[in-house]
Amino acid sequence: MLFFSFFKTLIDNQVTVELKNDIQIRGTLKSVDQYLNIKLDNIEVVDDIKYPHLSSVKNVFIRGSVVRYVHLPHNAVDVTLLEDATRREAANQAAKAK
Amino acid sequence: MENGTASQGEGRDPSGFLAEIIGNPVTVKLNSGVVYKGELQSVDGYMNIALEKTEEYVDGVKRRTYGDAFVRGNNVMYISADS
Amino acid sequence: MSEGEEGPASEPLDLVRLCLNEEVYVKLRGDRELKGRLHAYDSHMNLVLSDVEETIYVVDDEENDEGDEKIRVEDDQEIKSVTKKSEMLFVRGDSVVLVSPIEKS
Repeated sequence: MLFFSFFKTLIDNQVTVELKNDIQIRGTLKSVDQYLNIKLDNIEVVDDIKYPHLSSVKNVFIRGSVVRYVHLPHNAVDVTLLEDATRREAANQAAKAK
Repeated sequence: MENGTASQGEGRDPSGFLAEIIGNPVTVKLNSGVVYKGELQSVDGYMNIALEKTEEYVDGVKRRTYGDAFVRGNNVMYISADS
Repeated sequence: MSEGEEGPASEPLDLVRLCLNEEVYVKLRGDRELKGRLHAYDSHMNLVLSDVEETIYVVDDEENDEGDEKIRVEDDQEIKSVTKKSEMLFVRGDSVVLVSPIEKS
């Protein structure tokens, strides 16, 4: 749930999703779900010479499981808040495991 | 704690084995073939592993050392007690 | 903690928790490594890192495109590596193999 919530705070930011097949897609994050499936608008493919086949596509729905990285703008992330949320999540998980 | 056919006195169940070797030197082999040798700090139900004073071997050649290392369980082929 | 056998670092994920806001080394599937500061993780090993340097090891020649990337040949073996920077990076947990704190010198 932590990262689902995290990505919801990033909606409308410009991100670059790097897939496990090395394709990188830059676009505006429009939505995310609990599986971390991602919807991007106004996309462009980084290095579209090598990967020309998405050049006419305007938006994509990316299955979470094929994502390797999501590159984010530094200023869209409050790292202290994130660390606190992470510790809270870790404590919750530990409590649930008992 | 009844164990059906607990015929071997020592031979506990797998998680019992893991509990017994905590704190001991172990060898962890990953599916990729990479081997880690270190002191077993802890293991959980996913076979996530925490190791201390770890050496990494690729094709038998030492590549790196780590003070502490967390290994994600899905990559683990086996954990073996060195002794 | 109420069971209270041993307090700290009694499960593997605790090791990762102790790395929050610290520099970590992350080994990934596909001959990739990351170095960066850890800001978030969960039980899947999804991560958020800042000021990341990614190193990709390429088994000899793939293509010599990507001319703007640093490519160095390691002297003992024919392994090239490419490094990339990212200011803030989410890493999906299923690619993660190993996480380790980087010792401060």
